[in-house]
Amino acid sequence: MQRTRGALVIMVFALSGCANLGVEPWERDVLARPEMSLDSNPVDAALDDHIYFSKEASSGGRGFGGGGCGCN
Amino acid sequence: MRLQLIDDTTMNDERNNPKNIGAALTAASCALLGTAVAAKAEAQELHRWFFDTALLYYGESDDRVQDLSATIGATRDFGDERSLGLTLTADTLTGASASGAIALDRPQTFTSPSGNAFYTTAAGEVPLDDTFLDTRFALNVNWSQPLGRLYNVSGGVGFSTEYDYTHLGVNLGLSRDFDKRNTTLSVGLAYSQDDIDPVGGAPLPLSQMLDVGIQSNKLSTDSKDVIDLLFGVTQVLGRSTVMRVNYSYSQSSGYLNDPYKILSVVDPVTGDTITRVPTVGLSGPDGVYLYESRPDSRAKQSLFSEVKHSFAGPVLHVSYRFMTDDWSIDSHTLETRFRWPVGSSNFIEPQLRFYTQSEAEFYRSSLVSGRALPEFASADFRLGQFDATTIGIKFGHRTAGGGEWSTRLEYYQQSGDVPEEQIIGNQSGREQYPDLSAVILQFAYRFKLQ
Repeated sequence: MQRTRGALVIMVFALSGCANLGVEPWERDVLARPEMSLDSNPVDAALDDHIYFSKEASSGGRGFGGGGCGCN
Repeated sequence: MRLQLIDDTTMNDERNNPKNIGAALTAASCALLGTAVAAKAEAQELHRWFFDTALLYYGESDDRVQDLSATIGATRDFGDERSLGLTLTADTLTGASASGAIALDRPQTFTSPSGNAFYTTAAGEVPLDDTFLDTRFALNVNWSQPLGRLYNVSGGVGFSTEYDYTHLGVNLGLSRDFDKRNTTLSVGLAYSQDDIDPVGGAPLPLSQMLDVGIQSNKLSTDSKDVIDLLFGVTQVLGRSTVMRVNYSYSQSSGYLNDPYKILSVVDPVTGDTITRVPTVGLSGPDGVYLYESRPDSRAKQSLFSEVKHSFAGPVLHVSYRFMTDDWSIDSHTLETRFRWPVGSSNFIEPQLRFYTQSEAEFYRSSLVSGRALPEFASADFRLGQFDATTIGIKFGHRTAGGGEWSTRLEYYQQSGDVPEEQIIGNQSGREQYPDLSAVILQFAYRFKLQ
């Protein structure tokens, strides 16, 4: 019960925070930097996905499930 | 036409920036006056090609898998946020890979996957199949463009080929921006069709490894289909923070076995592999080994989230993924990178990754002689319970010409356990799960061309 109440409090805070999410177009100086892009290193990400796909039972998440390889 | 060219120089995220509007107006005035436009258009022509290249070495300890991989990614910018991406990868793999058989106090002999030769494993060692050798080529082509003011559509095809495997895939993606582009919702769909043509043929599931030269339990080729669905939300949280949450569903069906993986059939008391004598005049396995059997479908779901935050220079990237599937595998992956600028043109980036997974419900370290065979069984360690850690560091340098080279060194360590109830008799005194460690070394260079 206490845990549910805690979760509710967190949700209320999170939702009230939503109203202030985001920035104005002229406040994108930091976000516009290449290193702030969520896909700033597509080749690193693809190589990592390939390694972990061949060594672990999980794949994908960031993008599609990977695969296209007989290594797993 | 001229105004359009000018607009192209203002990237999507900055198109509403007053400074850029001002620049556009200035340029428009110049256009009306007939000056400076040619220079602006020429500047626009610059950097139409963007290249991202990498050379990667992956090497496991104890002469296990070694992989050398070269990747060239090229992006052609057609303006108006339309771009074509091409990625070509070549891999060459050698080394030994765990077969799934258990270690014994005596040497073991196995028929190699081709069926034309045999190999032996020393006493006390986890059996590794050292006939592993492959070369792989992969090509991906992707097109992306806006659809109206707020939508973006992308589509791609992928093809890869290796000695025993061919993959053909297509994918489609659609995204829409909301709330001054602070929120982006995206949906993706991918389909792939893979053909498997194993060396020596695809063995019948749970059939026994036979003597060299006898192929009666092998079929020729098989195939599998994979459908992937992905829903994503990207949200700008503040001036320095952006996050993304993805839910994805993946359904594989068809031949999902690893044709080279086997299970030892063991004595119910001693836990040692049942001995077998090859046919007179032939070489062959000296124990009873069965080829693995996996279900012919697998549904995976994953929830992935990541956050990037800039501390006025240094950038922290944290991601977490939870995956669950109908083979009873659950996994958690936590990854973090911290990019720290050094001077005006260098950075170092420590990287850390933790991974843990539970075993598949049909994971068996061995099969017990005299008991009914289960419908599905695999001793593939990748379907077992294990934890893995990757620790690494990347160093990057931005060149005067706007390019960037980087080098990355990582150490990957996997350690797993066989469930206690699966360990029988003498097995408890031997290494059950072949822990794995690997070094990853990558050199990358990205640059722009006209």
